[in-house]
Amino acid sequence: MVLPILLTMGGLVFYPLLSTAWDSLHRVNPMQAGTPFVGISNYTRVFSDVEVGQAWLNTFKYVVIAVFAETVLGVLAASLINQLKSGRQWVLAAVVLPWALPGVVSGVIWQWIYSPGPGLLNGLLVMIGLDYEGHLWFNDSTSAMLAVSVVHIWRMLPLTIVIVLAAMQSIPGDLYEAARMDGASRLVMFRNITLPLTRGAIAVAMTNATVSAFNLFDEAIVLARNSLETRPILLQIYLEAFKKLNFSYGMALSLMVTFISLAISLGYVLRIHRSTRLD
Amino acid sequence: MHLPKSDLVFAFSVVLMAITSGIALADDAKPFAGQTVSVLLPSPQDANMAADFEKATGIKLDLQTASWDDVSVKISTALLAGTAPADVTEFDWSWTGQFAAADWYTPLNDTVDAATLDDIKGSTIFNVNGKVLAIPYTNDFRVMLVNKKQFADAGVTVMPKTLDELVAAAKAVKAKGIVKYPIGLPLSATEGASTSWYLLTKAFGGDLFDKDMKPLFTAPDSAGYKAMAFEMMLLKEGLVDPASTGLKDSEINETLFAKGLTSIMISGEPGRLGAYNDPAQSVVAGQVQAIPIATESGKTRSFGLLEGLGIPRNAQNPEAAKEFIKWMTSKDYQIHNYANGVLPTRTSALAELQQQGKLVSGEALVEQAPTVEALFPSGAPAWYPQFSLAVNTSINSAAKGEISVEQAVQRIAEAAAEAVKQ
Repeated sequence: MVLPILLTMGGLVFYPLLSTAWDSLHRVNPMQAGTPFVGISNYTRVFSDVEVGQAWLNTFKYVVIAVFAETVLGVLAASLINQLKSGRQWVLAAVVLPWALPGVVSGVIWQWIYSPGPGLLNGLLVMIGLDYEGHLWFNDSTSAMLAVSVVHIWRMLPLTIVIVLAAMQSIPGDLYEAARMDGASRLVMFRNITLPLTRGAIAVAMTNATVSAFNLFDEAIVLARNSLETRPILLQIYLEAFKKLNFSYGMALSLMVTFISLAISLGYVLRIHRSTRLD
Repeated sequence: MHLPKSDLVFAFSVVLMAITSGIALADDAKPFAGQTVSVLLPSPQDANMAADFEKATGIKLDLQTASWDDVSVKISTALLAGTAPADVTEFDWSWTGQFAAADWYTPLNDTVDAATLDDIKGSTIFNVNGKVLAIPYTNDFRVMLVNKKQFADAGVTVMPKTLDELVAAAKAVKAKGIVKYPIGLPLSATEGASTSWYLLTKAFGGDLFDKDMKPLFTAPDSAGYKAMAFEMMLLKEGLVDPASTGLKDSEINETLFAKGLTSIMISGEPGRLGAYNDPAQSVVAGQVQAIPIATESGKTRSFGLLEGLGIPRNAQNPEAAKEFIKWMTSKDYQIHNYANGVLPTRTSALAELQQQGKLVSGEALVEQAPTVEALFPSGAPAWYPQFSLAVNTSINSAAKGEISVEQAVQRIAEAAAEAVKQ
């Protein structure tokens, strides 16, 4: 029974992973003959590579901004949608729409929104009397990073909402009824009933948000191209492997991203597990 | 009238022979008829290319186009994965070292004859150790493009020969309120920002590297340093649109210059002159002309960025691919394709266009052509893509005020040293 799963996982996950790990210990560059063993030099090189260091820093900023915003806004949005008595499916369908769009399409849509000339965002800000005529959102590293983050959050927030909303809908109504009879306010009910009973779902959503923020690529390359100030680690990996042809260095970086994002995600899961276990 | 049976058989045989020999002749002329060849090139290309090619050779053409930067990505990712992105692809001058080292392309020594290579002077740029890896199809060198009507409206009657005169002309256009940002200059982290800086480095009388590939652009009095400082000055003075930090060169050409929103393309492509002066494609038709590159000294200089056609080693249909290359680099097609903004690489085609009076700004092109130099006289090095990436990301950061010019040139020099070391 487990053989198909083992074969699938082995062929599509473990073999490529091990093969990548093995290649990352060699010099793999199509411009150079042979693939000599180089030990962990592709990993230690990270510490002296300024561009890679900047890309890591940018990525950690994306992760912090995206995970915080997606979690807070996702839980709030799920709570509001959970209150709806009718038309919930329509609201949910509309909310999910950005998630259904490919990252490149989201990037192009927001490119128009951020456009300095006829852009929607500057137009709205000017309309309410602010001096944003021709404002360039990508000529300042902080606003550029926030602009890219907003697009990523816009695209990934629906998934958090769906995960948390599903958990909220499984909470028995009796609990809220009993709390109301005891005089509990909405805020107290949210803190003492909703949050504890959706922690597992929130951990899953945060894990997903973390992994997807580490994988941020489309939005950054469409909106800011190869700009160093907004370049995430995945774009750096792409440039190392496909532009500079440092294939094994790209592999080492890819494995680092995989393990760091998994380690952080594991941290959420263990923390939530400890705080929600029955014993 | 009754013909003897033997005569009838003879007549029928003659007709049959005539028909079959006709078919055979047709087959000889179009030996690959019915096959399909896939081609990947930067946009724009001739809308009728597929129909014209099929008519000429009987081969169906599956043409894919995208911007130069996107084509570059598609080609390198496919080649690294061990697959051919198409049977025939773009082969830029700057890829020669890298692609030759990786042995990704089929030598084309047997595809074109010696007379053709002699007619296409720049073909040596794709010759690595005797292997011709690509055949140049577009004669891309740099001139400056100006909107002469906007110049005239601003009272600029003499075309600039020096960079000071160029800045003065731009300021005059701006002062008259004709356009807000008179100079088109890409400053995004894309290849166009790199090539503009290379050109300005030459305009300031210098080169990028010495013969030992040591950077020549880090000292404040070097041409490369002055070129970058010049770019930042243009931006600071409001002569270049600050939004250029996010625009590719093709976008500046198509959305600013072709719409009359900017007056000068510093790193102009002569091939675009035809399209700019076509009322169907441009609102500045009849207003655009090429001028030789203005320089610090007044003595013009330029460099070539030839683009060729190559066949990846894993191409599915290499024979039909060779037919496409022969057809696209033929004299007749090059003359025809000039109307689509592709400047011929054949000397004979250029001469014929000039004789016919069809070469837009022919005098300027003829004056600029002998001054065209190779950016890397001994061929583009294998580490060029790393160097170019460092150049355009550093220019982009400097243009956004994130780093100084000094930091930018240092960063480029360090990246070049690192790339050479590998």
